[in-house]
Amino acid sequence: MTKNNLSQKFYSYFREVIIILAIALFIAIVSNSIRPDNTPLFGFSSAALIKEQQAKIPYITLSEAYDLYLKKKVIFIDARDPYSFEEGHIVDAINIYPDEVSLHTQSLKAKANQGFIFVTYCDGPQCPLSKETAHALILRGISTVKVLVNGWSLWLNAGHPVSKGKK
Amino acid sequence: MKLRNFPRPFIPVFALICRLTLAIIFLYAGIEKIFNPGDFAVAIYNYRLLPDYVINFVAILLPWLEVIIAINLITGINVRGSALLSAVLFLTFATALTINLMQGLDISCGCFGASSGNINWSYIVRDLSLFCISVFVMIYDRGWRYFFV
Repeated sequence: MTKNNLSQKFYSYFREVIIILAIALFIAIVSNSIRPDNTPLFGFSSAALIKEQQAKIPYITLSEAYDLYLKKKVIFIDARDPYSFEEGHIVDAINIYPDEVSLHTQSLKAKANQGFIFVTYCDGPQCPLSKETAHALILRGISTVKVLVNGWSLWLNAGHPVSKGKK
Repeated sequence: MKLRNFPRPFIPVFALICRLTLAIIFLYAGIEKIFNPGDFAVAIYNYRLLPDYVINFVAILLPWLEVIIAINLITGINVRGSALLSAVLFLTFATALTINLMQGLDISCGCFGASSGNINWSYIVRDLSLFCISVFVMIYDRGWRYFFV
């Protein structure tokens, strides 16, 4: 095949690709604009979506969480930073910051298969970390997750067992 | 127009079957997603590979691109370009799946709209097989005219 033939062939491929893309683009934009429920072309908001997904994660009350703890059916996940975790945490809790969930996925899946329920917590009623860690766990296929809102303060003030240091 | 009498029909016939298979897959995948662009946008977002501002655009364009590719493959118009785009799409899908599976994400594939299952390694094999089929069509397909005089 001569160099001229080859460049002609590439040109014809390129021309066909451009034609297909142009047709698809035209029809996509026109059909979207005439739809009654049209989607804004550049208006996707991941923040709103995450908020919506996080709102679906079930909560657990302190008494329910303590009950599961007594039955040894729960694994507490402390979503705070490592320094706060070392200062004090729910006994036997694991420290998993939202960004670090992927490092623990395999071991947590094994625990989930054994029937454990995961309860994430952080500190303060507005703290987002427990929801973020729970959301990251659900995205990785661990569905038995609940959030204990303001968990650390509630657990500590109730006088339930706590421990200190790394784990 | 009557059927042509050709001595070695195997490769052109196989290429035709591959072309029509690709067309059916794209048609099914595209139509499913055209009806629910919002759900498809969420599926794209879950892959965590694209910035927010292009997600809706891709969710609106990609299903139509799939349908147009399917129509071209069925009618035999712009087959080379369609097969090339098809190969690029399947390679992109396989790469996106690989990245997410390596990160341990357990998300919906979004391949065929809302009815798709969650991603797993078999989907990569499927996409790579379809990539090979696309390349085969691009090289060996002779269009409808080849079969008729």
